[in-house]
Amino acid sequence: MKMDEFEKHLQRQPLRKVPGEWREEILRAAASTRPSPVEIPPSFLSTLTHQLSTILWPHPRAWAGLGCVWILIFALHFATQDGSPRMASRTPPPSPEVMVAFRNQQKLMTELIGNNEPQEMERPKSFPAQPHSERCKNTSMA
Amino acid sequence: MDIQAMPDESDLQRLYDEHAQALFAFLLNFIRDENDTRDLLQEIFSRLAREPGLLRGARDERAFLIRLAHNAAIDLIRRRGTRQKYHEQLAEEEPCIFTAPDNTDEAAFRESLSRALARLPADQRAVVHLKLWENLTFEQIAEILAISHNTAASRYRYGVDKLREDLRPLYEEIK
Repeated sequence: MKMDEFEKHLQRQPLRKVPGEWREEILRAAASTRPSPVEIPPSFLSTLTHQLSTILWPHPRAWAGLGCVWILIFALHFATQDGSPRMASRTPPPSPEVMVAFRNQQKLMTELIGNNEPQEMERPKSFPAQPHSERCKNTSMA
Repeated sequence: MDIQAMPDESDLQRLYDEHAQALFAFLLNFIRDENDTRDLLQEIFSRLAREPGLLRGARDERAFLIRLAHNAAIDLIRRRGTRQKYHEQLAEEEPCIFTAPDNTDEAAFRESLSRALARLPADQRAVVHLKLWENLTFEQIAEILAISHNTAASRYRYGVDKLREDLRPLYEEIK
């Protein structure tokens, strides 16, 4: 929509300026209505971190050295754990002489302790399952 | 200690420097009272300080702030219903909303224009102001004042026709 001359003339009329002293007053008053800083209760993790840093802070080098020692211990531990199965797998099978000696020793042990073995107990006799009436008949016949 | 996000003071100053003039002119024309205009400006900037996220979703800061100003002015008028009627009766004594010129003819025209604007219904005055001195489209005006596009256009037309009628003799003189 096009404006006519009258509307354009109205548009050219300059509006009053906002008083300069208002700026400070309004901004100061606005700043005073700001919400005050809210303290958020510290979380468990932040408390723990704070406590740890309080403890560790006095001697940081000593704690760092202790940490390095622990890392070295763990590294050695894992290195030796990795090596043992490999060594076991590489062990050669026992020689036939060793096996013969082992069998002889086993035989000797069997002979020595053979008498002390408990005697085999008599097993309970097992009867075939029969009806009660049948059992009674056998008894009466006897 | 953690501190929640606070409204930045420099941001508030920037908002004031960029928009306070437009808000002042709109409110002064709409409310027709300098003290009330100051109170409303104060209220708007205090709200911006209290609610830092208020402008976050706004596409157009100026339009959003004018809408805030309009709503605040409507609330004020409702709160002071009887006082407003008294103000309307005293429209002739209200301060001029334009700067004082050197030329006496222009001065007379501006004073007459200010008075003629004061005689318009507030709804028409708001639309005329936003169209003439904020250069907004009817779509933008409709959005700010929460009215339809056609209502904004018709209010403008009625308002300007009344001003034309009131100011015809003076306008003819200075033309």
